[in-house]
Amino acid sequence: MTKTFKKRLWILDILMLPAGLIAFFPFYLIIVNTFKTMQDAARSPMALPSKWIFKNYVQVFEETSILRSFLNSLTITACSVVLIVLIGAMAAYPVVFNANRLTRFAMLYLLAGFMIPFQATLIPLFQLMSDLHLIDKIYGLIILYMSGSVFVFFLMTGYMKSIPRELPEAAVIDGCSVGGIFWRIIFPLLKPITITSIIFQTMWIWNDFLAPMLFLNSSSKSTLVLQIYKAKGEFTVDWPMFMTLTVITLVPIFIFFIIMQKHIVKGIAAGAVKG
Amino acid sequence: MVKFVRQLQFQLFLLPILAIYSLFTIYPLIKSFFLSFTNFDGYTEAYDFIGLKNYVRIFSDDAITSAISYTLFFTFGKALLVTLLAIPLAMILDQKFLTRNIHRAIFFFPSIPSGLLLAYIWGFILAPIGSGVLNTVLRELFNIGPQPWLSAPLLAKLSTIVVATWAITGWHAVLYLAFLQSIPKDYYEAASIDGANRLQQIRFITFPLLAPAMTVSVMLLLTGGLKVFEIPFALTKGGPGYETYSITQVIVLRGISETQYGLASAMSIVFFLIVLAIAIFQVTVMQRREQGIQ
Repeated sequence: MTKTFKKRLWILDILMLPAGLIAFFPFYLIIVNTFKTMQDAARSPMALPSKWIFKNYVQVFEETSILRSFLNSLTITACSVVLIVLIGAMAAYPVVFNANRLTRFAMLYLLAGFMIPFQATLIPLFQLMSDLHLIDKIYGLIILYMSGSVFVFFLMTGYMKSIPRELPEAAVIDGCSVGGIFWRIIFPLLKPITITSIIFQTMWIWNDFLAPMLFLNSSSKSTLVLQIYKAKGEFTVDWPMFMTLTVITLVPIFIFFIIMQKHIVKGIAAGAVKG
Repeated sequence: MVKFVRQLQFQLFLLPILAIYSLFTIYPLIKSFFLSFTNFDGYTEAYDFIGLKNYVRIFSDDAITSAISYTLFFTFGKALLVTLLAIPLAMILDQKFLTRNIHRAIFFFPSIPSGLLLAYIWGFILAPIGSGVLNTVLRELFNIGPQPWLSAPLLAKLSTIVVATWAITGWHAVLYLAFLQSIPKDYYEAASIDGANRLQQIRFITFPLLAPAMTVSVMLLLTGGLKVFEIPFALTKGGPGYETYSITQVIVLRGISETQYGLASAMSIVFFLIVLAIAIFQVTVMQRREQGIQ
């Protein structure tokens, strides 16, 4: 590259600095205030602490059931995602490798699901959940989230079409059963799309607020997002406490982001390029 | 017989998804449709068919009309703002400058945590009182008095759009970036040999080739925008009045809190139709546009 070209790129660093700072500012704000007293935070919210304190962190673990909520979020997300991926992948199998009139109908029927917003089904869903005694049950929410498998089904169908047909056909000759072909041959080949599915479903379920708000009442079953919502009411004046809770909640999300960034970007790109 | 058994084994793989989807998506949708013509209140078993009365009531219910207009305003405002910012951002992040990766991470990260949490953080910045962070900055730098960022109708609506834009622009920039990187470098080289300057290259190579990305991005922005709930709920609780009530929030309010099942179901069906109409319209228009410029 020529020298002038490099010089121009150097200008981009300068130009982007203010934009980057503004975008990052909200995170700076909450992090810096977790080390302040209430008075200090109210007086100068943006400055560095006049005296660094760490008691907010201790207090959050003592006064809120954040660990409990973390475990609830983890249980709900992990169980739901595993079930969603399995159900979605299973459904794609006959659609791709045993296409007939029935599977084509099933595919059209499921396609409609893309257009149906959760909100449009909310009222009867609420009744249904209460009739089935699934309200305020962790497993109730997991069962509800299983409907996310429709999205995964379409991801899986697209990917499965790229698997050569000779593979399962050879397995049939070797005497492999319908189930055996899927579990031993097809499913292991789905690893890349399984990772994409897991990431997007994890982000959806971990962050979901509406369903936990409607279907989980008791505080011992709160998810992390629900806990943040309840804490907002409890710590209305104690900003540093609320911000500390928020920062602690962001830690696992940040770790997830660092580890998964490449995969997330790949997933967005793949989804976008395919349309 | 063996063939029949094999067929049956295959179909069994479809059973779980069909069961879950029928029970938790299709059945509730049909029931929403059915309830929307009744005066069912959730308690009394007896209810009457009241025809289209619920649908008429939607348009005389202040909270509902306000929620529909806010949700549409939010959806289109956010889609426009994000698109205007994400494309140049993607083009900048495509350059190999020194702090590129840091900037990518900074802009992209806000799309990962929950919208509720992000909006609460912004609540401290936009707090309408004098001690709100933005108001403190304005006072100390420009000596401007406290502005009601979240308590005046128009300002509150715009604030929710700004926060949502901050949260999702990086995500859409990544989407555009994927397309930018798939444009062969030869195109630009050929164009510059032909004497096209940088702006002409952007106008005649980059934009046309970004059209399919725009279709996907705008579709996601519109369908996502219509389902908005957490950001205005966390920032304003829907206020002032019903000014920033989202459709989702009004369905929860009228349906679950006040158990006006019939009315809320009618609202759900109208919402479903709005989503459907905008999605169909957008995909046809954008695809025609894609064909037009390619």
